[in-house]
Amino acid sequence: MIIRYSTFIALFILFILEGTVYQVFAPDFHGFPYLLIPRWMFMLLLIAGIYRGRGYGLFYGIIFGVFYDIIYSQVLGVYTFGMGLLAYLLCNSIPIVKKNLSLIILSVTLGVVLLEYYVYGMMTLLGKTELSHEIFLSKRFFPTMIMNFIILAILAFPLRRWFQYFDRKMQDFN
Amino acid sequence: MSPFFSNKRLIVLLVCMIILVALIGYSMSDRRALSWPEQFVTDTVGSVQSAFSRPAHFVAGFFDNISDMRNLYEENKILKSHLDEYASLQVELNDLRRRNDELEGAVDLQDDFELMDYTVRSALVIHRSPDRWNEQVGINKGAQDGIEENMAVMTSGGLIGKIDQVSQFSSSIQLLSDQDVTNRISAMVDGDDSVYGFIEGIDHETGYLQFTKIDIEAELEDGQTVSTSGLGGVFPKNLTIGEIVDYEYDEFGLTQTAYVEPSADFYHLDYVMVIERSAPTIDDDINDDSGDDES
Repeated sequence: MIIRYSTFIALFILFILEGTVYQVFAPDFHGFPYLLIPRWMFMLLLIAGIYRGRGYGLFYGIIFGVFYDIIYSQVLGVYTFGMGLLAYLLCNSIPIVKKNLSLIILSVTLGVVLLEYYVYGMMTLLGKTELSHEIFLSKRFFPTMIMNFIILAILAFPLRRWFQYFDRKMQDFN
Repeated sequence: MSPFFSNKRLIVLLVCMIILVALIGYSMSDRRALSWPEQFVTDTVGSVQSAFSRPAHFVAGFFDNISDMRNLYEENKILKSHLDEYASLQVELNDLRRRNDELEGAVDLQDDFELMDYTVRSALVIHRSPDRWNEQVGINKGAQDGIEENMAVMTSGGLIGKIDQVSQFSSSIQLLSDQDVTNRISAMVDGDDSVYGFIEGIDHETGYLQFTKIDIEAELEDGQTVSTSGLGGVFPKNLTIGEIVDYEYDEFGLTQTAYVEPSADFYHLDYVMVIERSAPTIDDDINDDSGDDES
């Protein structure tokens, strides 16, 4: 039971952590000049989608996109659409990707890049921000990418082991 | 290999885009209250968020305490020197208050409410939006605790924002630093004669609040205190916002714009106070009148 829903629970806990605990200790509130936006939930979502199939990725993308929209952002639909679409596009669960860890890291990083740019584009389009592109790149985009990439690189290997274990468990189950 | 986007998928994508635009249009419309599915999700997730943020605030507070202890001695000396001043101020305040009462009685002021009066509810900050596109903070009190839209929110330092959306057991605060066009607060400069204007968002390069629409002939000085005016109809009077650090003529040369350094810290928020003003708001009066007309 716990095993079956463990992906959902892990995603939900990451989702909560991003908004609560991380915000208390966020480095830019303690004098760090760059914005580090956590996209851990989205990265785990993509990895889960790669291992468990496109349908799962799309489903989780939409569910957590809705959560993100309702709780953290005031414009509904932006994250629902973005996370759903990106999860659908990037969750290639063909064996060659599944076996190759660097391909997984690459596609997840690409996902975060596209998500950041998509949200920046939407916020500019809707007039929610007047941030210029250079400042967006230097203050927000690169630091965020570096932070997320480091965390992804550290956690990708254990995550793969976990998903493989998970697959075996599920096969035993069925 | 099959085409990546078959016809069916393309249609689904287009339908999704239409839904996206419709949702954005729905959520951008003015003065929208939260619909019940949104309230349900925010309340459920909010209870989990409180469970996570309480220990986080506790740990952060613990580290703050340690750093506080190191400059305790210095602070104590300064505070002691202020203490003598405080006693004489208290005497003066009592004297002024008595005289004010007498004078009000003498001219027969029939105001039974005060713009300055308010009641306070304290709440715990449970989340903050992780993508910094909006400056919004969630608290763990909602409509069931008597929170209403547009109430002022402050910390011990000063005003930080207003209540934006209310759910049953949680609500969200729009901070003064939010860039939204509707985020505007009527404020005044505390001086020999009061100068009025609006606080309109933050200047991202300097990090100061923008205090706009000030009369061109008003004389401003650095270091003057800016507080709420109570004229906007929803906030009480005299909630501290910050200090003027710089001022200039606006782009058309018709009004002045001042830059205000906020006295409250917008970053380390744990407990906040939600302010309910005791004076009746303008909305109530209007609604009463319209009610009379209809009846």
